Amino acid sequence: MDKNLFRYIWRHSRRDQLIVCAVVLASLPFYFLSLDLPRRIVNEAIQGRAFEGGQRTVTFLDLSFDLPAFLGGGTVTLFDGFEVGRYGLLYGLSAIFLLLVMVNGGFKYVINIAKGALGERMLRRIRFDLFNLILRFTPEALRHVRPAEAATIVKDEVEPIGGFVGDAFILPAFLGTQALTALFFIMVQSFWLGLMALGVIALQFTVIPRLRRELLRLGRERQLASRRLAGRVSEVLEGMELVQVHNAYAWERAEIGHRLFHIFDLRFRIYKRKFMVKFLNNFLAQFTPFLFYAVGGYFALQGTLSIGQLVAVIAAYRELPPPLKELIDWDQQRLDVQVKWDQIVQFFSGDRLMPPEQEAKAAVAIGAGVLAAGTLSVTGLRVADGHGDAIIKDADFSLQLPAHLALVSDGTAAASALARILGRRAVEHQGRVDIGGLELSALTPALTGRHLGYVGLDPILFPGTLRDNLAYGLRARPVASAGEDPRLAARRIAEAARTGNPIESVSDEWIDFAALGVSDADELDARFLDLLRMLGLEEDLYRFGLSGTIDVKRHPHLAERIIEARRVLRARMEEAGLRGLIEPFDPTRYNAQASVGENILFGVPTDRDLTGRAMASHPGLRAALDADDLTDALVDMGVSIAGTMTEIFRGLPTGHPLFEQFSFIGADELPEFEQILRRRSRRNRGGLTEVDRAKLLSLALFYIEPRHRLGLLDDTMRRKLVAARRTVHLTLEATGEHGVEFYDVERVCVAAPLRDNLLFGRVNHTAANAQAQVVSLLTQIVDEMHLKADVERVGLDHEVGPGGRLLTAQQRAAVHLARALVKRPDLLVLDGALAPFGPARARELCRVLRDAMADRTLVVVVPSAADAEGFPARVYFEAGQARLETDDTGLLPPGRSDEDGRGQPALEEQDGRRIGVRV
Amino acid sequence: MTLDTEVQSLRQVPMFRDIDPSRLKLLAFTSERVQFASGQRFFSQGDAADAAYVILEGGAEVLLGTPAGEIKVAEMGANALVGEMGILSDTPRSATIVAKGTTVALRIDKRVFLELLTQFPQMSIAVMRELAKRLERTNAQLAAAQSAA
Repeated sequence: MDKNLFRYIWRHSRRDQLIVCAVVLASLPFYFLSLDLPRRIVNEAIQGRAFEGGQRTVTFLDLSFDLPAFLGGGTVTLFDGFEVGRYGLLYGLSAIFLLLVMVNGGFKYVINIAKGALGERMLRRIRFDLFNLILRFTPEALRHVRPAEAATIVKDEVEPIGGFVGDAFILPAFLGTQALTALFFIMVQSFWLGLMALGVIALQFTVIPRLRRELLRLGRERQLASRRLAGRVSEVLEGMELVQVHNAYAWERAEIGHRLFHIFDLRFRIYKRKFMVKFLNNFLAQFTPFLFYAVGGYFALQGTLSIGQLVAVIAAYRELPPPLKELIDWDQQRLDVQVKWDQIVQFFSGDRLMPPEQEAKAAVAIGAGVLAAGTLSVTGLRVADGHGDAIIKDADFSLQLPAHLALVSDGTAAASALARILGRRAVEHQGRVDIGGLELSALTPALTGRHLGYVGLDPILFPGTLRDNLAYGLRARPVASAGEDPRLAARRIAEAARTGNPIESVSDEWIDFAALGVSDADELDARFLDLLRMLGLEEDLYRFGLSGTIDVKRHPHLAERIIEARRVLRARMEEAGLRGLIEPFDPTRYNAQASVGENILFGVPTDRDLTGRAMASHPGLRAALDADDLTDALVDMGVSIAGTMTEIFRGLPTGHPLFEQFSFIGADELPEFEQILRRRSRRNRGGLTEVDRAKLLSLALFYIEPRHRLGLLDDTMRRKLVAARRTVHLTLEATGEHGVEFYDVERVCVAAPLRDNLLFGRVNHTAANAQAQVVSLLTQIVDEMHLKADVERVGLDHEVGPGGRLLTAQQRAAVHLARALVKRPDLLVLDGALAPFGPARARELCRVLRDAMADRTLVVVVPSAADAEGFPARVYFEAGQARLETDDTGLLPPGRSDEDGRGQPALEEQDGRRIGVRV
Repeated sequence: MTLDTEVQSLRQVPMFRDIDPSRLKLLAFTSERVQFASGQRFFSQGDAADAAYVILEGGAEVLLGTPAGEIKVAEMGANALVGEMGILSDTPRSATIVAKGTTVALRIDKRVFLELLTQFPQMSIAVMRELAKRLERTNAQLAAAQSAA
């Protein structure tokens, strides 16, 4: 990126800047005309100066002008104009005035839009360029970069720069011209007075920037302090566990408080300085008229200057300060953004960045195949840690690939350091690491991204589904268009081209199925499932699937099967005499196991306003309850519930676990409900406000008779609630709000999880051990109907949460590992990736992975020599020296040579049990 | 049957007799009402103790596992408290309880019960008093048995 902001702006927006300039220029004549017109209307039309000669009419709108002498003189007439009277002239001129107002407004509109677009485009370009720089941070630099700081740079710090871009060149050009014109006029009137004005301006332009230097320094400091504040806040947020565990609240508060004080102090000093400069500036601007009055007056009294001239000079000077002031303001802004820019450019200094990614397709062609079957040779490798101490002092060995290589850790970082180099996660080292004669670090990302896999200790997951995360490594470039609307696409691409942004769309198909050896997304899903099962996630996937929702459009077949399974389950329960374990959803019957609210909706809310307590305030629902005369009864139910709750939970301290688990009412709400009850008893319902009623209603909506056992529902009430379903449906449909997906025994309820869809009812919790019996029966039926894989596929839609926090450590590690395996890399490096599984499971997984990577290279960092057992090649580290040992039996797993290894079936059967999957 | 009738049942249990009605209501509310089919097990000998039960309707048999198979040692009726020793002493179940006919019981979760004891000393004291009484009874029986021998 350019060090100089102006050069950057000019380089990328020259054309637009010039266009805006031209439009501004074109607007000026109209602007001046509109300034002159009011005078003409008053003088010529109203006061009648145009008719002073006694004529009854004047010519209006004659478009003729005199040619200057050097063009031969004479008059050119474009239009002779109309002959009009006084009223005609008045209305004519007024009409022109109105027209000019519109024209000027139009120009202003166009200029503002153009400037705004210019600024926004530039902002987009800057942000994208910065993001591009972020992508180029070296693995080493990443250790020192705070994510929130980079984020705040891209988002906040460039914002004022974008606002400035539109004015960067245009404003100084025009204000400068205006100021120069005024100055020229003064000079013409009186050379000496002009010179005085010039002197004061020169003083302004030398003193003020000098005073501002300090301001700039403070501004720079402030920018860094705010950036660090952002970094710190996010650090605290990420390390919140530590803060809470160690009760470090006070320390963190003090820390942030101190930072805020520092920022305040800086800002305050900036204010003081800024307004001081402003004061001085204003003073100097007013100092000139003082000189004019005093000195000019003296000259006038002396007679060397006519009073007319003096008045004209002073009038002209009036025109000077506003543009001058704006010019100085502009200069201030310029300095501000330049400082910001400098700080931003500095953050992305060259030594922290990798060289720009080249789209060198030729290099890929050279390198392809090298990773699969080249010779790995390490020559004179020397690696130092962040403090300059040697981790690997000397490593020399070579190994024919493919091979399975264990890097045996000696407790130092040596094994991991070599793994990171092989996985291209570290670039700083001495000596050479070549594969097939090509230096590893010189291979292009396109090649390594496709054929090399590195899996480190910390699983990195992006928010999204399991599937998104597994497919992350498969998206090198779009392979097919998603059929975007061509008009929209053209606009998007044109904008991208104007701002140096990529023209690829995220909605395109990015996964090259053919290159992966699968025919479509379904087969890819199957491969994901195989991998995750191999890594021991089968049960988890099944669970995720049952709690996931189905996309009926994508899996129409599954939807039909679910309805079928529903029937089978029902029949099977009937047979086994377990009928009472599930209470099915029946449109004509009250479901005792569901809450009152669920019974009224008889469906799953898709709208937030119908979920949880918000339901009690939903206008549509309330209208329906009112129509069925249920509101008062439900509010009375709420009163009973509130009464019981306040009675039995009184005396429990706030935050007690029992509150969270059992009470309808949060501990902090208890006093509020006590007040509501008091208000009610005082005036027998009349004392209740609308808010009170909604609150009480919300309690009633959560009530489940068999669970809460307050004896609040009788048959009449149940009947009324069932009848209300219809009213609710009709009301919600009438208002056009489709906030509820209603239950229908013949249809899949898209909003409900798969489990609920299979059960289509509520488990009867009053029957002992009902849940376990139902789950085991359900699993049995899913197995019998061969639905398990389908359920697991739904499980691939499971959200992993930010950073994968909704998964367990092992699940995260498995996804992280599967993501690398699914690419079928030629060279896979595992650097601590198995650690989260625990030592025993890690050893088992190691064997499974070696089978899966049968004819390809696998490099694993193992914690001890015992773990390296079975690996045909092992590198041992001792005091920084690396030593390679190989078995004579060859470098591939026992019983599998390079030739016959390739033709093996995808699944290995042993004792009839699937033990591994070739990837 | 509602919470209030359950409170009535709890009141019949000696261990809970002296506890405040509002606390008993809390105990009932935080407990689950479960129904066992005839012959269904409350729990089996050797299971981890996770809850105590108060029988509300129906009855239960206490079975002890012996080398010769399970033998019935006692029978429980309505308002009997079952399995409370396990959750207090944190030991595995010493016997198997099987429902005799359709039986409804109030399941008092161990965690919740201990939570309540910690929170309300009055409840703890009531439980201690009952345990002390049982100990006294056992001592008296022991003495009677010894003098008889």
